[in-house]
Amino acid sequence: MVSLENLPPGTRARVVGIVGGYGLSRRLMEMGFTPGTEVEVVNSGPGPLLVRVRGVVVALGRGVARKIIVQPVG
Amino acid sequence: MSKNKKEIVVAVAGNPNVGKSTLFTILTGEIAHVANWPGTTVERKEGLKEHRGRKIRFVDLPGTYSISATSPEEIVAREYIASGEPNVVLVLVDSTAPERTLNLAVQVLELTPKVVIALTKADATHSSGIHIHVDKLEEKLGVPVVLVSALKGTGLRELLDAVIDVAEGRKGRKKPLKVNYSWLEPYIAEVESLLSKHNALPEYDRRWAAVKLLEGDLRLEKILEERGFKELVREIRRLRTAIVRSTGKDISEHVITSRFNLVDSIAKEIVVRIKTPTTPKESLLEKLLIHPIYGPPLGLLILLISFTAAFALNTGFPLNVILDFAGFTEAAEIVEEYSLSGLIDSAFSYLSNILEQLMTQAKFPDWLVSLVIDGIIPGVGSVLSFFPLIVVIYIALSIIEDSGIGPRIAVSVNRFFNYFGLSGKAIYPLIIGLGCNVPAVMASRASIEEEERKQIIFSAPIVPCQARLLVILAFTTAYFTSPLQQALAIVSIYVIAILLTLTTSLLIRLLWFKKKDPPELILEIPPIHRPSLKVVWWLTWDYSKHFLKKAGTIIVALSIITWWLLSYGPLGVVTDVEESFGAIIGRSIAPLLTLYGISGENAWKTAFALLQGFVAKEALVETIAIMYGEAISTREALLALGLTPLQAYALLVFMTLYVPCLATVAAIFFESKSLKNTIIASIYMVALATVTSLIVYYLGLLIQVLVS
Repeated sequence: MVSLENLPPGTRARVVGIVGGYGLSRRLMEMGFTPGTEVEVVNSGPGPLLVRVRGVVVALGRGVARKIIVQPVG
Repeated sequence: MSKNKKEIVVAVAGNPNVGKSTLFTILTGEIAHVANWPGTTVERKEGLKEHRGRKIRFVDLPGTYSISATSPEEIVAREYIASGEPNVVLVLVDSTAPERTLNLAVQVLELTPKVVIALTKADATHSSGIHIHVDKLEEKLGVPVVLVSALKGTGLRELLDAVIDVAEGRKGRKKPLKVNYSWLEPYIAEVESLLSKHNALPEYDRRWAAVKLLEGDLRLEKILEERGFKELVREIRRLRTAIVRSTGKDISEHVITSRFNLVDSIAKEIVVRIKTPTTPKESLLEKLLIHPIYGPPLGLLILLISFTAAFALNTGFPLNVILDFAGFTEAAEIVEEYSLSGLIDSAFSYLSNILEQLMTQAKFPDWLVSLVIDGIIPGVGSVLSFFPLIVVIYIALSIIEDSGIGPRIAVSVNRFFNYFGLSGKAIYPLIIGLGCNVPAVMASRASIEEEERKQIIFSAPIVPCQARLLVILAFTTAYFTSPLQQALAIVSIYVIAILLTLTTSLLIRLLWFKKKDPPELILEIPPIHRPSLKVVWWLTWDYSKHFLKKAGTIIVALSIITWWLLSYGPLGVVTDVEESFGAIIGRSIAPLLTLYGISGENAWKTAFALLQGFVAKEALVETIAIMYGEAISTREALLALGLTPLQAYALLVFMTLYVPCLATVAAIFFESKSLKNTIIASIYMVALATVTSLIVYYLGLLIQVLVS
């Protein structure tokens, strides 16, 4: 299990959980980052990560991405 | 009256980026009514439509991902749905991303059965390789589902038919949808029976309220407490703690996951994907904009070009400076004269001449002629002369917003903004602020973090708006002779102001909120698409109308007051402006200007003009023009103040930084809901302006001594 922040572009992973406050976790989960959901890192540079979740691309600041724990797939 | 003739009220709900504003504009044609939701600053838009002889009133709910209580927008949305006022809730689901956007539809269906679902972007499903079995979705959810394309105008009639059918009970569900919450079910039943025993929340579906209370919904708890059910709230809280202790699980996570499990199982049956969703085409622009190296400069370049074009079209700046610098003095003058502001200016002076002749011939009393010619016309003219600028700026902003370029720019500048305690999203309000500070302060709502929102509310008013640009242009062209000096003066003032805006925001975060980390960025990035003309026009008109109404009334009133203050004195009508009330007020604050080496006759005039600038910046130049009489041009009037270029520059720095205008102060108050903070912010800006301009002035003097 790793943090979403550390995944290189093109990697797919399954969400394991979110280690954040109530508001942040809820917001992320309502946007589709629920445990078990498959996500894909579209772009990752020094700035925010672009992550595809449930057919939608979402930009996540590195601080947010750090709080999403994932299990890489394949 | 028969039931059929009654107006049907439809609440329109949907995630951000599902195409809600496009569909809303196309369904209703135009906005009938804009107001705020009671007790909030969340905007409420309404539109009317007639179909099959029924009047349908569409009420636009804020775009949200859920109807929990995590933001004011979500509370507004769900309380309106529960209020019983809407006969139907129209939920928009993005047909290119049903796995995500169906989530909100399920949430709404848990709260009310009176739902119609619009599958938006039907035109894009084919190219995204998606096919949706609409009839199967209808069967699963038990409510009408209509595929619509706002772009092509298809499905709209069917959608309106479905709305009427559900409103009149011919179609749709009788009861809300039940999501299976597995192990939580016995507890839901327990809370339901508690609620039923006390009849505590009759307006909400009982099961829905029970689930929300188990999730720890603060808003429902507050409503219960206000109704005197304090013991009930305590009992539910105890139950919640017991569940968490015995299962070791997070209730919210379980609820959201269960709902998404239902969404997934529905999506699996109704969605056929021909291409995999992970290989969408990305245009070159999309790739470049999010590129770590090329992205940020490209984003800023797009913004810069839009603004330069808007400036040039309206005031001739900076095209006139460039032309003049290159030696084409005549061309520069033509550009200035035929700019939109120049044309409106000429139109108003023409109108003023004709009216004066007519009124004098018709033997109107002198004071009335003076009021219209010296007071109202210059006032209205000054507003209208930069109205086109506002419109053009907003067209550019609306295109950036509606095309999907905006979120990408926000992502590309995120890292830079983090240094100032802001997220990339803050680029929106700050850029809007270059047009007008009032909508900039209101745009602070885009922030998901309360602290960042406050930072924007209190720092965005330092961004130089169009009104200040007009003053800056007037003074620099009067006091600096070479175009290069003029350009340097203008650009340096913008740089100073923008740096101070960002520094102020950082100081608020560090000193007031004591937060070291920048705000988190969570932002959906929709695919780039061609902006819809209708939506761009709708957004533009929405912004501009606001400006015209608020600034218009204030400035018209102010020009009447200015005229009165300068035409009357303690002895009645004055012929010499020296004896007017304006002179008395000006003289009382004039001593402060000795700090800048300004004294005597010109000090009170400058002071009075600056005072007028508190109400509206554009009134500053106009006030000076009125004081020196109508015989001379604005430029000559400004030169008559007899300032040195350094004094003029220091005053411009002061003018740019102190409180932008009354309308902005009002906006700060409405957004922050704190009189104390509004006053503090105003005092801060005046202090910032004084200190900065004095530093500039004395630094300038020092340099002059060293050079000579």
